[in-house]
Amino acid sequence: MRRIRSEERTAYLAILPVGLLLACFVYYPAISTFLMGLTDANPRVQGLEGSAHFIGLRNYGQMLGSGEFWASVWRTVLIVLMVLPLELAIGLAAAMILNEQFRGRAVLRTIAIVPWMLPPLVNGFTWSWILNGDYGALNGLLYQLHLVTTYHHWLASPSAQLFWVAVAQVWTRFPFAMVVLLAALQSIPQDVVEAARVDGARPAQIFRSVTFPMLLPAFTVALAVEFIVTFQIFDVIWSLTAGGAAGQVINPFTKAVMILNYEVVFRNLDLGLGSALAYLILVLSMGVGYVFVRMLYERGA
Amino acid sequence: MSGAREMTPARLVRRLGFWLAAIALALWSLAPVYWIVVSSISTRIELYSVPYKHWIPRAPTLQNYVDVFTTGPKYRAGGFLPSATLLYSGVRNSLLVALLAAACLSLLASLAGYAFARLNFRGRSFLFFMMLLLVPLPVWVSLIALFQLMSVLGLIDTRLGLILLFVSYGAPLYVWLMQTYIRATPRDIEEAALIDGASRFRALRTVVLPVALPGLVSVFLVAFLTVWNAFLIPLIFTNSEAAQPLTVVLSLFIGQYEVAWEAMSAAAVVTMIPPILMALFFQHYVVRGLALGAVQ
Repeated sequence: MRRIRSEERTAYLAILPVGLLLACFVYYPAISTFLMGLTDANPRVQGLEGSAHFIGLRNYGQMLGSGEFWASVWRTVLIVLMVLPLELAIGLAAAMILNEQFRGRAVLRTIAIVPWMLPPLVNGFTWSWILNGDYGALNGLLYQLHLVTTYHHWLASPSAQLFWVAVAQVWTRFPFAMVVLLAALQSIPQDVVEAARVDGARPAQIFRSVTFPMLLPAFTVALAVEFIVTFQIFDVIWSLTAGGAAGQVINPFTKAVMILNYEVVFRNLDLGLGSALAYLILVLSMGVGYVFVRMLYERGA
Repeated sequence: MSGAREMTPARLVRRLGFWLAAIALALWSLAPVYWIVVSSISTRIELYSVPYKHWIPRAPTLQNYVDVFTTGPKYRAGGFLPSATLLYSGVRNSLLVALLAAACLSLLASLAGYAFARLNFRGRSFLFFMMLLLVPLPVWVSLIALFQLMSVLGLIDTRLGLILLFVSYGAPLYVWLMQTYIRATPRDIEEAALIDGASRFRALRTVVLPVALPGLVSVFLVAFLTVWNAFLIPLIFTNSEAAQPLTVVLSLFIGQYEVAWEAMSAAAVVTMIPPILMALFFQHYVVRGLALGAVQ
């Protein structure tokens, strides 16, 4: 009995620091932000000392009824729709390359992981320099390959901006899909593949009816994770197209939901509305991610 | 791709295709990094040459690094400080915050992870559930109240404040990781130590952690990398050279009207050094932890 008591005391002591931090810096502010989303808190209106009023779900109603919100959801969905297929295709191709035995495999694996290790903010910066309309490397490369005759401003149009944001995001994230799919590829028992080969199946057939079905769970995981990650994209846009540093106006054409959230809270100081928006984004990203997984699993089963 | 077998035309085509794909993968992954590195060691004249670019600098120079870290009067951002001051404080802040946050997380995650993995106590599964609930929770759903809380505590624009935030928001993931690693260590040596009269904490330190060391190293490195790369939290909770890390300093430069790309590239390369070292030398530890923590 004494032994158990002391074990319990030890356990509480061991989790106490983490517990305190989570209670003070995560749970308390998360709940209190949610509650603020039910008020009209805005220091610009009420002053710093003024008090906000409880207005129920009106902030959610206002957000869901605003064209600005749906425009930013649409932009985000466009980015997601470009990123997910590209990223998973490149990730799968890279995983299949690295699943072969060849000289330089470890080196290639290391090289391919680098983009994922770098700060996404720096990746956005890197791509903005590559895409630079006056001196950029992409222009130089295409010119020297005689594919263009004049330098081109790649980020000139709104749709081009979304496209290049997606490319930079794919570059940043594809190694994640690659790592997940490579692990799954390596766990496929070789004798199954060998048996199919002995039976005379062609490589494409083996991939379609043996390899891919066994990859499906890993594929689903990568898809769901990357949906959530891409839906909440912020850093890459910030350094590639947002242009909002030092108090300048944020470029509206790539205002994804997280950028909109930043603007509502830290530029407009609309704290109540911003809190509601934060929880809307949470529900949208997690909810859709969850539905994704369910759908794919049910189809796979 | 063993080459011992006989070379039929079909196999030759297949091998050629494979190597082309492998080279394409290497180029796609490396080219942007290569261009930033080349830009950072090019002279301004070569870098801005059009329409032909210098893919290999003819006169490589470290002058850009010297410039951004010494004179740097060309651009001023984030108030009226020269870039050199901002970069120095950025390097210092990034290093201090990332190292200390990673160290705190390793310590706290070991303690709590051990409790969840090995000890019996009332409320264990409830507390574990309440913690796991937070693993996928993004920081911005608590950002607004958090900002007010940090203001009241006087922790805005301090390194201590950043460390507290990174530790708090990283803790659920790393505690969970540590408890899986500790669960995988054999119980019997630990029990032998306990019978010999060692306390639980002593057993954790002298017997359990040495066995779970790869896991601990992984937690430390992934935490360091995550904090080093972070942008949103420091963007919101810092506003001067007292605490701004490198990522925020870089974002201040980007916002300027005219960017001196050769100098900017040098600053970017400095920011890339720790992540690239991780990819080169600690890939094994980092990839697993990052893959598991991907949802965050």
